[in-house]
Amino acid sequence: MAETALASRPEPQSRASHSLSIRSLSKYYGSLAAVDDVSLEVRQGRFLTLLGPSGSGKTTILMATAGFVQPSAGEILLDDKPITNLPPDKRNFGMVFQGYALFPHMSVEDNIWFPLRVRGVSKSAAAKSVATSLELVQMAHLAKRLPTQLSGGQQQRVALARALVFQPDLLLLDEPLSALDKKLRADLQWELKSLHARLGTTFIYVTHDQEEALSMSDEIVILRDGKIEQQGDPVALYERPATRFVADFLGKSNFIRGQSAGGDAQGFRVKAGEVTLHQAGSQAADQPVLIALRPEKLSVTRARPDLPNAIPGRIAAFNYYGSTFHLQVETGALGDLIVTVPAWKCEIDPAIGNEVWLGWEPDASVVVRDN
Amino acid sequence: MKGDFREKFGRGLVLGGAWTVLAFLILPMVVIFPVSVTDQYYLSMPKDGISLAHYAAFFTNEIWLSATAQSVIIATCSTIFAVILGSLCAIGCWRLSTGLSESVRTFMLIPIIVPTIVQALAMYRFWIDLGIIDTYVGVILAHTLVAIPYVIITVSASLANFDLRQEQAARSLGASMPQTIRWVIVPSILPGVLSGALFAFTISFDEIVMVLFITSRAIYTLPKRIWNGIEDHLDPTIAAVATMLIAVTLALLLLDLWTRHRRQQRLRAAAAEE
Ligand SMILES: Nc1ncnc2c1ncn2[C@@H]1O[C@H](COP(=O)(O)OP(=O)(O)OP(=O)(O)O)[C@@H](O)[C@H]1O
Ligand SMILES: [Mg+2]
Repeated sequence: MAETALASRPEPQSRASHSLSIRSLSKYYGSLAAVDDVSLEVRQGRFLTLLGPSGSGKTTILMATAGFVQPSAGEILLDDKPITNLPPDKRNFGMVFQGYALFPHMSVEDNIWFPLRVRGVSKSAAAKSVATSLELVQMAHLAKRLPTQLSGGQQQRVALARALVFQPDLLLLDEPLSALDKKLRADLQWELKSLHARLGTTFIYVTHDQEEALSMSDEIVILRDGKIEQQGDPVALYERPATRFVADFLGKSNFIRGQSAGGDAQGFRVKAGEVTLHQAGSQAADQPVLIALRPEKLSVTRARPDLPNAIPGRIAAFNYYGSTFHLQVETGALGDLIVTVPAWKCEIDPAIGNEVWLGWEPDASVVVRDN
Repeated sequence: MKGDFREKFGRGLVLGGAWTVLAFLILPMVVIFPVSVTDQYYLSMPKDGISLAHYAAFFTNEIWLSATAQSVIIATCSTIFAVILGSLCAIGCWRLSTGLSESVRTFMLIPIIVPTIVQALAMYRFWIDLGIIDTYVGVILAHTLVAIPYVIITVSASLANFDLRQEQAARSLGASMPQTIRWVIVPSILPGVLSGALFAFTISFDEIVMVLFITSRAIYTLPKRIWNGIEDHLDPTIAAVATMLIAVTLALLLLDLWTRHRRQQRLRAAAAEE
């Protein structure tokens, strides 16, 4: 729905897209390293998301890019020009803040005029750009209102229009949707994504919401304690998490600890207690391994499934989410496993105490580093 | 039942106390009005009728008019200086918000704590050396100094509610620091700046202790004239002046309330428009 509305809106002037390099960036607060030797390349026109738990340094990286945080070490370059010591107002980056940070004493249109006003454009000369920006975010009908008279979602749109009206070299967004309710957030995710596609501006997006990161980004950088834990496109990160932290933070995972035993070209065996599992990939024998298994990649059946990995269990708890069931299954040998099944084709009777079989293919699970 | 009685009694006590205090504050002002319309030639209640002669005396007497003009000039100038300096100090301290800037802010409040008479004495000595005793410059400087802390207090209070991200937003949108102050910070803290200005003006307008110390013949502010009037011949014109001062203050207060009311109505009207 949001997409069709966007298609009919006017096209802003196309703008040159830019790339950003962050080289060995560190920021210390006393002895705490808020950002610890982070290097990043953001190619032009990309939608890059910094994802991580609270306190992982996302905002600090964004603020250093915007020029509000002076790095303790490292360099930031825009198209290979160092900008580390440039004041924020000389960087020409649009920024959308978590609390929107609209100017409360200015009307919507004056808020959007502001970046042009500081560049010496009179209100009448800016009228066309302001109107275009307002239409871009579907806010033209509320141009005369004050920010306090807008809903959260509307304020967010105005903040976006204001950050885009001066054709910034880069758009920085710090958890722009986190204050909105779930439904509105989903709508705005669509809009932001297609806005990015149409404008071609490089976006750097900060969030701690993994779904948001997965659905919107070209590339995700997962941060932990100020360091990059893993980076890649959403599918690569979700399907092949390198560490336990990533497997757990990006989506949910079951973890199975075991010992590698011999294998062949197809894969290798993992001894977990009395159970022997089959895992794709290769691993030297007699090594401790940690397997991450996505809840939706397990099959649940009444009878033993015809799969290399199969284990019986008993339903200990279940939750109904409309589209899916989440089951907690006691397996004894492998502990409790979480399973999600589409509710509309659930073959078993999801009642507590029922006996079921769980099964999965060797390539459904991945070996991750424990950390 | 018993608790009920106690509650009523307690509330009666509080209400009674509040009204007593209010009466205490207001009565002197109410008394001054009949005195100002007395038909006598000295400070007293009207005897055989009322008369506006003392009001006429004020408007025809060069001495009163010039004292009023001097007070307005001095209060206006010191308000302007106090507002500019006090606001900048408050913004600077807020912006740095380090331990040092906190102590600077506390330090700036000293003029409120130190007894006025002590300050007046110190200024008297110092102003002589500077050669600004009994000059506009001297009085304006003194009043600016005592008014600055009030501006700092009111501006700091409104800065405490100012979201730092607004400043960052302005900077990221390309505004230099001076532009940010002029277009974003100052408008946001304008209520604080205005009430600081109101404080500064009132303080200067009715300040007398310092004026008595640091002026002699050339400068005669309104409070000093009233003071001399009482000393010399208990002229009821003083009561007329006082009544007019109260009236002006009240008018300003009502104006303030009215504009605030208007602004709120306008906001509501704009919201109801769609
Ligand atoms: N001005 C500061 N002074 C001291 N420590 C700070 C400062 N700013 C951030 N930190 C610390 O640096 C670390 C990283 O903070 P940052 O705000 O970048 O985290 P974040 O990933 O954005 O978290 P959140 O999701 O909660 O916003 C945190 O431990 C934080 O306490
Ligand atoms: Mg943050």
